[in-house]
Amino acid sequence: MENSIITLIILSLFLGAGCWLVFVWAVKKGEFDDMERPKHRMLDDEEGKR
Amino acid sequence: MTGFVGKCTHCGAWIRPHELVEERRSGETLAFCCRGCHGAYLLITGAGLGDYYRRREWEEQGLCSGAFNEAYSDAYLAGFVRPADGKSAIDILIDGIRCATCVWLNEKIVSRLPGVTEVRVNYATSRALVLFDPGLVTPSAIFERIGELGYVPRPYTRSAAEDAAAREKRDLLIRFGTAFFLTMQLMAYSFALYAGYFQGMAQQIRHYMQLFSLLVTTPVVFYSGWPFLAGGWRGIINRAPNMDLLIAIGALSSFIYSVYATFAGGEAYYETAAMIVTLILAGRLLEQSAKRRASSGVERLLSLAPSEARRVLNGAVEKVAVAELGVGDLVMVAPGERFPIDGSICEGVTSVDESPATGEPMPVAKAAGDPVIAGSINLSGMVRVKVDKPAGDSFVARIARLAEEAQSRKAPIQGVADRVAALFVPAVLFLAAITFVYLHAAGIEAGDALMTALAVVVIACPCALGLATPTAILAGCGAAATGGVIFKGGDVLERLGGITSVVFDKTGTLTCGRPEVAEIRPVPGFGLLVPDLVPKLETLNPKLETTDENLLVFLAASVETGTNHPLARGITECAAGRGIAPAAPESCRTFAGGGVTGLVGGQNVSVGNARFLESQGIALPGCLHCPPAGGTAVYVACGGSYAGALLMEDRLRDSAFPLVGYFQNRGIRSYLLSGDKRETVNRIASALGIRESRGDLLPEEKMDFMEHLRERGECLLMVGDGINDAPALSSADVGCAVAGGTDIAVESSDLVLASPDLARLSFAHRVSVRTISVIRQNLAWAFVYNIVGIPLAMTGRLTPVYAAAAMALSSLCVVGNSLRLLRLKYKVS
Repeated sequence: MENSIITLIILSLFLGAGCWLVFVWAVKKGEFDDMERPKHRMLDDEEGKR
Repeated sequence: MTGFVGKCTHCGAWIRPHELVEERRSGETLAFCCRGCHGAYLLITGAGLGDYYRRREWEEQGLCSGAFNEAYSDAYLAGFVRPADGKSAIDILIDGIRCATCVWLNEKIVSRLPGVTEVRVNYATSRALVLFDPGLVTPSAIFERIGELGYVPRPYTRSAAEDAAAREKRDLLIRFGTAFFLTMQLMAYSFALYAGYFQGMAQQIRHYMQLFSLLVTTPVVFYSGWPFLAGGWRGIINRAPNMDLLIAIGALSSFIYSVYATFAGGEAYYETAAMIVTLILAGRLLEQSAKRRASSGVERLLSLAPSEARRVLNGAVEKVAVAELGVGDLVMVAPGERFPIDGSICEGVTSVDESPATGEPMPVAKAAGDPVIAGSINLSGMVRVKVDKPAGDSFVARIARLAEEAQSRKAPIQGVADRVAALFVPAVLFLAAITFVYLHAAGIEAGDALMTALAVVVIACPCALGLATPTAILAGCGAAATGGVIFKGGDVLERLGGITSVVFDKTGTLTCGRPEVAEIRPVPGFGLLVPDLVPKLETLNPKLETTDENLLVFLAASVETGTNHPLARGITECAAGRGIAPAAPESCRTFAGGGVTGLVGGQNVSVGNARFLESQGIALPGCLHCPPAGGTAVYVACGGSYAGALLMEDRLRDSAFPLVGYFQNRGIRSYLLSGDKRETVNRIASALGIRESRGDLLPEEKMDFMEHLRERGECLLMVGDGINDAPALSSADVGCAVAGGTDIAVESSDLVLASPDLARLSFAHRVSVRTISVIRQNLAWAFVYNIVGIPLAMTGRLTPVYAAAAMALSSLCVVGNSLRLLRLKYKVS
């Protein structure tokens, strides 16, 4: 019981750390610099054709 | 709206009858306000991008006509191009981006140029990054393409300060993201601990849970919370307890208390520490998203004056950089160009639009010997200008320096939350100290007494504090934005509520900025001298009554049709308003800085200023027709004799009267400062009931006057829109610009009105006052629960359940209270 709880918690921490790393990478890549444009980008029908 | 025949399909501007351009397309007739808009429409639809007109989300008219498109040479642009992955890249600042559709249009149009591989336009900063193949396309072609659309491109280099600001923003986002992830983990453990508190939990498991909590909380407090710890420390050093110190004390005390409890056995409050940091970081992030455009005003100010000039040397003309010009050099300036330097005209006559520099809407006639200002626009004639001052010393450069200085001198304003913290921190520490001393004196061990004292601090620092200000400001800014008022930051909202004086700039803010015919003064019976003109008027306008007034307007409008001078526009509008259809004149001639002549119905008609008419050999009757204070007179002569005068005035905006009244009712004093003629300023001030007014002011003098008011302890709101207002806008406590004013004024202000309807300003003030009161209520709510907790903590009866309940309740109350602000609505008058 105790061991399984601790294992699961540690596992969840690793998962969280993974997500966190992706987040940090995304911020550094500038993914969040412009919050206005991307939501309209999906309406561009020509994007798919290229 | 009278005298208009509809709205332009492209730019949405109202169209005057004589300017109408029509296009027939699949049975529909489309109307345009000018050839430019028509061309832009053909360009856009021709490229198959007609969707633009369905997608765009604005109703107001487009770029002002003064926006000037400078042609850039490749040699000059080469300095801004940098290599990137075997290609070239250039950063372009695009003026005139108003909505996401503008971004879409620019990206599409530019990316279709052969050789352009990628275009990304950042909506928030209006900056485009273009990747292109230098072998296939030149930078100037890209600039030209953007210019054709009606936007104004400018080359742009990243400054160190902006890079730093961008880094800071990312840094904050990472700190918040980290805190958010870890706090989510922590909440899982805390829930287990809450459950264990009620239902019982094995001692061992509880200890593990607390250890895991310690593991995830440590980075939250010391990494994510570092800005608060550092800020709090600065607060201690400066002996000015601030919000940061309160947050740091709250987070650190609960962290230390919990660490002690973890190892000594007892209830831990890790989530309090983590939640304070996370929520407050969230608040900071929200605040940051409320202010978008960085203050690149100074940079734009300098880009106003062209960077190249045509120098005349030994009869030859060569293009040189403005910085290379020396005092005494001769420069050639063509009509439509901006003057690159401050100088004086030595050859040629012209009229100059100085409105970008001085805000004066009327073009000024200039002849040899007259000074010109860099950045103002040469309207009618080719002139040669002698350089009087080096480029670094020009009027525009001086204004840029003043604005920069004013901005740096402006002291940071203490927000409501900081003022509360300044009182609260010492009070809490005092209570904690009393608790410790009392318990220790009562014989309780020092360690336990210290922990109880610490518990007092823990419960007293509510995490809803972090939400109190940002949520209110976000809701306030949101309500303001739907009403067409844009606040450039939360502190502006707080400051606007506390103003004691309003300083208006006359031109363009209180007036429409367009001269209109205010009075028509014909020479009585002049029509009898030119009998063949009356039937001409009657055949064109069968229903019109033939009066001297109508005849005079008819003559002036006929000659002025086709002239693009603001005064001419005022006259043709007046004719349209009276239902007078002008005749097509023959052999029209425009004399720069003087007037127009032409043949109407076989009669020679001259329209212009007094000097012009006298030069045409027409005798003016003494001072009989002197212009009134502040107006401009346009004289009309017909058949060689004087026929009358039209008095032109810049009309006050309808919304100006209620605005001045609104501020007066609230005990806020109004001042009128202007660079215009003293008589004009005084006339407008007395019309509006403003008691103090000053005219003929230089930008420096405006700033000095405002400094003087501030020394008397006044909190100033400045409303202006000229470039010459930029320093004053920066130095005021709150600077307000009206959209449609110059970019620079908009950039150096704190508050922007989306349309020239001044009623929005009183709405902004109302929102601001309400927001401040909501912030106060929020702080009260945030504290109330925790103040109840203090006695519990002092007596050592604090339980985790109470702490959690206080946290949730206070946060909910604060957020709910802030949301009430969204119900504020701007009523369209």
